[in-house]
Amino acid sequence: MTAEHEQAPQSTRQPLLELKKVTKHFGGLAAVQDVDLAIYPQEIVSIIGPNGAGKTTVFNLITGIYLATSGEIIFEGQPLKKASPHQVVQRGLARTFQNIRLFNNMTVLENVLVGEHLRLKASILDAVFRPPWVKQEEEEARRRAIELLSFFGQHLVDRQDEYVINLSYADRRRVEIARALASEPKLLLLDEPTAGMNEAETMEAVHYIRRLRDELHLTILLIEHKLMVTMGISDRIAVLDYGRKIAEGLPDEIRRDERVITAYLGKAATADRQTWQVALRPQPEGEANNHHE
Amino acid sequence: MTLFLQLLVEGLVIGSIYSLVALGYTMVYGIIELINFAHGDIFMMGTLVSLFMVTNVFHLTDVSKMSLGGMLVMLVVTCLASIVICALLGVLIERIAYRPLRNAPRLAPLISAIGVSLALEDIAKAIIGPNPVAAPYLVPLVHYSIGSVDITNTDIIVLVVALVLMVGLQWLVTSTRIGRAMRAVAQDREAAALMGVNVDRVIAITFLIGAGIAGAGGFVFLLSTNNTVFNIGFELGLFAFTAAVLGGIGNLVGAMLGGLVIGLIRALVTYIPDRDLPFGLPHGGVAWQDAVVFAILILILVFRPTGLLGQQLAEKV
Amino acid sequence: MAMLVPSQILPQTGETRRLLLKWVIAFLVPVLVFTLVWSGEAILNAALLAIFFPGSFSIAAIAAGLFMLLFYGIITGLTGYLVAADSGRQSLLDLWISMFFFTVVPILLIYITANLFVGLAASVVVWAFYYYGRRLVRRFRPPAPLPPLPSLKVLDAEMRATLLTRARLGSFWFALSFSLIWLLVDLLFYFTGQYGQASLVFLVWILLRSVLLPVAGWLLGSLGGLVAIRHAVPANGNGSNGDRAGAPVSTRRLRLLSATRAREEARDLVPNDLPLRSTGARNFYLLLLLALLVFYPMIDPFLFGPGTDSRLDNYGNAGYYVILALGLNIVVGFAGLLDLGYVAFFVIGAYTWAMVGSPQLTVLTGIHINPDIWPWLFWPMLIVAALIAALWGVLLGAPTLRLRGDYLAIVTLGFGEIIPIVVQNLDKYTNGTNGLTGIYSPAFFGVHWNVSTSEPYYYLILVLIAIVLLANLRLRDSRIGRAWIAMREDEIAAAASGINLTRTKLLAFAAGAFFSGIAGAYYAAKLSTVTSGNFSFSDSVIYLAMVVLGGLGSIPGVVVGALAVYAVNVLVLPQLDALGNDPSSIIYPIYTHILQVIPNFSFSNIRNLIFGIILVVLMIFRPEGLIPSTRRRHELHHTEAEGVEITSLDTPPGAPGFESEMRVE
Repeated sequence: MTAEHEQAPQSTRQPLLELKKVTKHFGGLAAVQDVDLAIYPQEIVSIIGPNGAGKTTVFNLITGIYLATSGEIIFEGQPLKKASPHQVVQRGLARTFQNIRLFNNMTVLENVLVGEHLRLKASILDAVFRPPWVKQEEEEARRRAIELLSFFGQHLVDRQDEYVINLSYADRRRVEIARALASEPKLLLLDEPTAGMNEAETMEAVHYIRRLRDELHLTILLIEHKLMVTMGISDRIAVLDYGRKIAEGLPDEIRRDERVITAYLGKAATADRQTWQVALRPQPEGEANNHHE
Repeated sequence: MTLFLQLLVEGLVIGSIYSLVALGYTMVYGIIELINFAHGDIFMMGTLVSLFMVTNVFHLTDVSKMSLGGMLVMLVVTCLASIVICALLGVLIERIAYRPLRNAPRLAPLISAIGVSLALEDIAKAIIGPNPVAAPYLVPLVHYSIGSVDITNTDIIVLVVALVLMVGLQWLVTSTRIGRAMRAVAQDREAAALMGVNVDRVIAITFLIGAGIAGAGGFVFLLSTNNTVFNIGFELGLFAFTAAVLGGIGNLVGAMLGGLVIGLIRALVTYIPDRDLPFGLPHGGVAWQDAVVFAILILILVFRPTGLLGQQLAEKV
Repeated sequence: MAMLVPSQILPQTGETRRLLLKWVIAFLVPVLVFTLVWSGEAILNAALLAIFFPGSFSIAAIAAGLFMLLFYGIITGLTGYLVAADSGRQSLLDLWISMFFFTVVPILLIYITANLFVGLAASVVVWAFYYYGRRLVRRFRPPAPLPPLPSLKVLDAEMRATLLTRARLGSFWFALSFSLIWLLVDLLFYFTGQYGQASLVFLVWILLRSVLLPVAGWLLGSLGGLVAIRHAVPANGNGSNGDRAGAPVSTRRLRLLSATRAREEARDLVPNDLPLRSTGARNFYLLLLLALLVFYPMIDPFLFGPGTDSRLDNYGNAGYYVILALGLNIVVGFAGLLDLGYVAFFVIGAYTWAMVGSPQLTVLTGIHINPDIWPWLFWPMLIVAALIAALWGVLLGAPTLRLRGDYLAIVTLGFGEIIPIVVQNLDKYTNGTNGLTGIYSPAFFGVHWNVSTSEPYYYLILVLIAIVLLANLRLRDSRIGRAWIAMREDEIAAAASGINLTRTKLLAFAAGAFFSGIAGAYYAAKLSTVTSGNFSFSDSVIYLAMVVLGGLGSIPGVVVGALAVYAVNVLVLPQLDALGNDPSSIIYPIYTHILQVIPNFSFSNIRNLIFGIILVVLMIFRPEGLIPSTRRRHELHHTEAEGVEITSLDTPPGAPGFESEMRVE
């Protein structure tokens, strides 16, 4: 479970992504407050926290959808500054959304092709005149899109011409990840990649998230509500509560952290600790609690 | 200075008529996100109903020969008739042309609205012909002078009626049950339906009220300008719609404000002399009235993308 | 896989006879009606006359005859294709009835009204009743529903050979029976002495034709068969590489698709349940349409008698509406940006050529250009006008980038209002309300251009439409087109996929305006005069109506929408009074009835009323447009099923969301 690169002392390497005292205010409300976070190459890091803790806001800040009120986000040693969403993608970050945002009236293949947008060169004039190299580029793009789909098995490749709206929930999640992969990211941000999935699908998702790291050598930052999932695949976990980071560490440390337990269960719920411990057991058990809405 | 103040008054008067019509645009938009292109033509129908009432029902020829009581009865009945008929027309249009398209792609009701607008204009043309029709004075014209500014009693009536209707509408929307239902439907139609709000009925009532106010607008328009033409609704509607957007579409106070702003701009632009740039405009401000209105609108929207008082619509990410 | 016995897969031999009967009769009836009742015969005879009697030589007549040969050839080939492609599931009667309504009825109606568009409009009314009736019948006797892919069968080499034979038989029998009937009728005419002095040539022609037709049928049948085989499901098509362009569709993949999607895909395949709608058949239609468009000016006099020039003039005008609709479709249909001021770019395009291609240029700049060369400037100026319009598209787009939905709409509306006012008031340059006159027509080798001859303009607009159409199709299927559609579907997801929203929006505005500029320059050249008062908001609204009516985002839909709106608005409604006053027309009795009730009734007074009602009714019955893009049709049927989204609970309540925060600079 613990990957070998985990052993390397983190301080000696440059983090791929670093958040420094990132803060976001909505009006008077602080959605994210002074969050520090460092993600190292080929790590899987999870952000967990109760509803409304500011997890998705962190994602939106990283990907340029929101502008941080203060603080700095550094990617590969360069600050992202005020990069707009597409510039962030260009730098090598890609994301998925909690409430799957696919282009519903496009086919599976077209969705992935949109993800390749930045990799393709054809300008509007090239598109109209379509010289041979553009034709080649399109063919190459299709071939690559299918390759990406095949990462999730032949079954998605067979459905490449299906409108995504006709796919199962789990398949849509997969297509969304394929679309994100199409931009050739270095860091992949997954917002609740197993939400709405059943037990078997969740296990499969865990499996392919790990493969994303091991086979495609990606770094992954994910938000996850199912503690069973996070505990299982994360190298490190950061816990947010009310917009602040209250803990960070190895899964085992997090499981025992008092503040985390309080944040999740409330102060009055000490009696529930037993359940909590059960829920956090890394092995997938039949009735592991799904702490998601 | 005098001219300026005079123009200001004129702008306010025509602006308050824009506001009345803009209210209907903004209410309908707020609740079903439709630019109701037929709304201006409902207003035009209001002017026609008023014209019909005074000439064919009250056989008005010279208002100065009427008794004060008779005149008041005529004004009130005419205004009410205009409101009621326009309100019913609004509901009818909603029922026929928009309700079947509730779940259709977004632009389908827009085209349907354009169709209704074209149809209404042709009906009006069939009734009054293609040329402007003059109406008799509905009240004996009285001029008041405040300082050097000339104000007529019709100006005052227009302003008062507009003010009363706007305040009334604001009260209706913020403080009554139906107002609450309207706001609920505007916020989230499905959720409102789940909470037991009869969505179809609320939407119909919105059309009823919006069109009724346009009817009142039609009445005061006839009162203040004494003429109408079959396509007045199209032209005035365009500015009323602009006013609604300028104020922040979906926002009632915004629509009122937008109407006044556009009325003022249009009035003040006439002040620009007929000279070459930069000291004037070729052919004078009057020729550029519409262009200046839209130019200012674009400028305002560049800096306030959701209008003067528009709220930012939250989209969940 | 190849173990399947052919007889189980393709209709059996007895079936072949049934298929032949089915399709030969389905096509024989309309073709005979066209040939005998109407002009097919006349056109060919005129061509013969032109060839064999020196006095009556005319290229136009020969070209028209050539078209008729093409016409018969394409229909014969199509019959062969259909016999081969049919899975035999659609019942005989069903097909015959619908063929009757969709071919014989319009032919007869156009013949009766002697006006293409009025005839077509009347046909549309008949079709509406036909559909209504069919629905009623189906309510009583619901047909067995077609399973999504009933005929999806793999065909091996042997079966392909069967298909080919079948196609040959189909075309052959069609040609043979057609030539026999035609021969009989012609002989009858001949012996009653209808052909007069030219009789010998005709007799030879008639006999020759009767022999040649079946032979030609056999050959054309092979062609139809080849087309059918191209679309046949291959025996070894595993399609694992999934390359849509090259590899054939695999049956396995089709079975995995959802029913609706699979049905769309299966349209390409043979055998086919509804072969008339299959891709193979569509190729024949396109060929026929192309031939018709190219030869139309020559055939027109035979079909509708004198007045060809004014009709071509109308079609020349309809053409620029098509270009406008295609351009607007990029902005509204693909990119999803509501544009209510599209007329502005049209004005810019028109004035660009008007100011350069008219004496106004000399007035303004003092430049004198040789009048022989001047008209040639049209061609470079066509591009320049489009580019200038595109530039303005970007200029308009720039301030609107932060705006969404209807705020954007009002800005475009404002822009559409401002431009004509500016043009009108800057009369020093534009001549204001008096407009510019004496605008040059384009020049081209050996073509005589002149305002009163419409034929060159007809061909010019045909070429322009072809170019714009091709550009649109290519744009749609390119990286840029995908970005537009993605942006329409979900801006946030598009941005998060690396699409630069600013650029993409500006590109959409620029591309839309570019095509509008082309249309504008053409308009100025064709009318040879432009006046600022001719452009207003209502024009923008009409363009929008064309796009929405045709089907947002659907290129064929938009073309049809533009033609339909133009036809109804300009060709049909203004004709109604003339038709009503004509005692021989079908609406004469209705018209006189109305006149008795309303004495000074005139259709021209209620043109907009009728048009408005048509708009409302069409939107209610076909909110997705006449020919919706498959995507849109889909969207419509899923809006309700989509249900409640899982909302992001991470966004604090009342927080201003994406709209205000998202930065697009």
